[in-house]
Amino acid sequence: MTFSLTRRRFLAIAGGAALLPSAAFGAAVETVAKERRRMLQVNGYAIDAETPLDALTTFITPNDLFFVRHHWNPMYPDMKRWRLAVEGEVEKPLELTLADLKRLPRAEATCVLQCSGNGRGLFRPTVPGVQWRYGALGNARWTGARVRDVLAKAGLRAGARHLHAFGSDKPPEKVPPFHRSLEIEKVLQDGIIAWEMNGAPLPALHGAPARLIVPGWTGNHWMKWLTRISPQPEEQKGFYMETAYRYPEKPGEPGQPVPPEGMRPVTELFVKSNVTDYSAQVRAGAEAVLKGFALSGAPDISRVELSDDDGATWKEAALDPRHEPYSWRLWSYRWTAGAPGKATLRVRATDSRGGVQPPEGVWNPSGYLYNGWQAVDIQVTA
Amino acid sequence: MSGVPRRGAAAAIAGLVAAMLVTVGSPALAAKKPRSKPTPTADFDLKLPVLGTRLEEFPAGSGKATADLACLQCHSASMASQQRLTDKQWAKVLDKMIGWGAKVPAEEKDRLLAYLVANFGPDNDKFQPTVTRPVGK
Repeated sequence: MTFSLTRRRFLAIAGGAALLPSAAFGAAVETVAKERRRMLQVNGYAIDAETPLDALTTFITPNDLFFVRHHWNPMYPDMKRWRLAVEGEVEKPLELTLADLKRLPRAEATCVLQCSGNGRGLFRPTVPGVQWRYGALGNARWTGARVRDVLAKAGLRAGARHLHAFGSDKPPEKVPPFHRSLEIEKVLQDGIIAWEMNGAPLPALHGAPARLIVPGWTGNHWMKWLTRISPQPEEQKGFYMETAYRYPEKPGEPGQPVPPEGMRPVTELFVKSNVTDYSAQVRAGAEAVLKGFALSGAPDISRVELSDDDGATWKEAALDPRHEPYSWRLWSYRWTAGAPGKATLRVRATDSRGGVQPPEGVWNPSGYLYNGWQAVDIQVTA
Repeated sequence: MSGVPRRGAAAAIAGLVAAMLVTVGSPALAAKKPRSKPTPTADFDLKLPVLGTRLEEFPAGSGKATADLACLQCHSASMASQQRLTDKQWAKVLDKMIGWGAKVPAEEKDRLLAYLVANFGPDNDKFQPTVTRPVGK
């Protein structure tokens, strides 16, 4: 089969040099076409803006096209006086400057940052919250220090189970503060305190001078404008842990409330794929190229498939060799147009743990992690 | 008609945000003072508004004045106007927001709820995101 051959050839080309782009996926320096360089702003203030799918065509999403999600008008830390406090279950509480952090071994990860609410606007029945569609995500290279190195410097105590994270952000009025925590195992394994995004100092909109990076987990764990981390025996309390950012353990009826005891924190991303590039019109018998990305909370994507018959049969797309754990995979697919009329192509991804993208996103009260199949229509002309 | 967002606390906040964004959008943010004019790093479409500077207004109608007062204090009108919620959902959101400090006079609450449901109910298909310019590296 041509598709698997193509894929094998890609893997052969990749041969361990995961960062070398293949000829089929464009030049070494990828850029987003000028006419596609724009954002879709869904909230004036606090700023919430997503990236149009047709601008998410590159392996690395440029900083200035990266989605922005603020809970309220942010209060940026004073860059000159910024310190990261390390306290809680540690032998020696610390106050680290950026220079102190930079003396630790340098850590880098290229991975997806996705808002847990990405796709909320696609759920039916509708749910309250920012009505994101497809573009509250991006893939970037993050540089900083490993959380485990920072905690080792402070002497992490055995009783710590959760890392509490705090930023300089302060809510207005009586709005509860955005305080979060995450399981210590995950953060010791993969967590980074990053001060660079795609080789540039972390932009203010994205949490300068430093933010938490939690590869494979939803954006709510990636605390921006980080000021304090504190390992603790218990989970953090408060609205943004106990009420928000929770997902039903067992999905219920769409539109029906779920009792609080049936909810768990939303953590890992769900497997999904989207189309970023295709021709809306093609002649019968001609080839059309579709391109896109696929991602998951599992470290890799093993397969992307397309269907032109409502999901009855699927054909495999070619995967771009560029990959790191929890980064996205770009994919490309050549479709031969059939008889004139409207054709609908659907895409689905399978991850390295065997998780398969479902036809519909699983409805949940807060509209998290929509991952239903995306469909695109192509008009086939005579 | 200049509209309510141009006056009062909401306007002040919005103005601040806009000013902040201009700063954020410049390369000076990286705490380095550029010695000469920085080379542009992006192809901006100058016809597009800068992210965060175009603010939607609530539609006219009975209840708009309360919506302006209560909602715009913390977020722009689009946070509400993108929603498509039933009366039950809106009632829940409104109670949450009042609990968080939204200034809704008790005698105006029902009118505001009716206004939100009438304009941003489950069939609301009027909302369009603002196409904006990227704000720099």
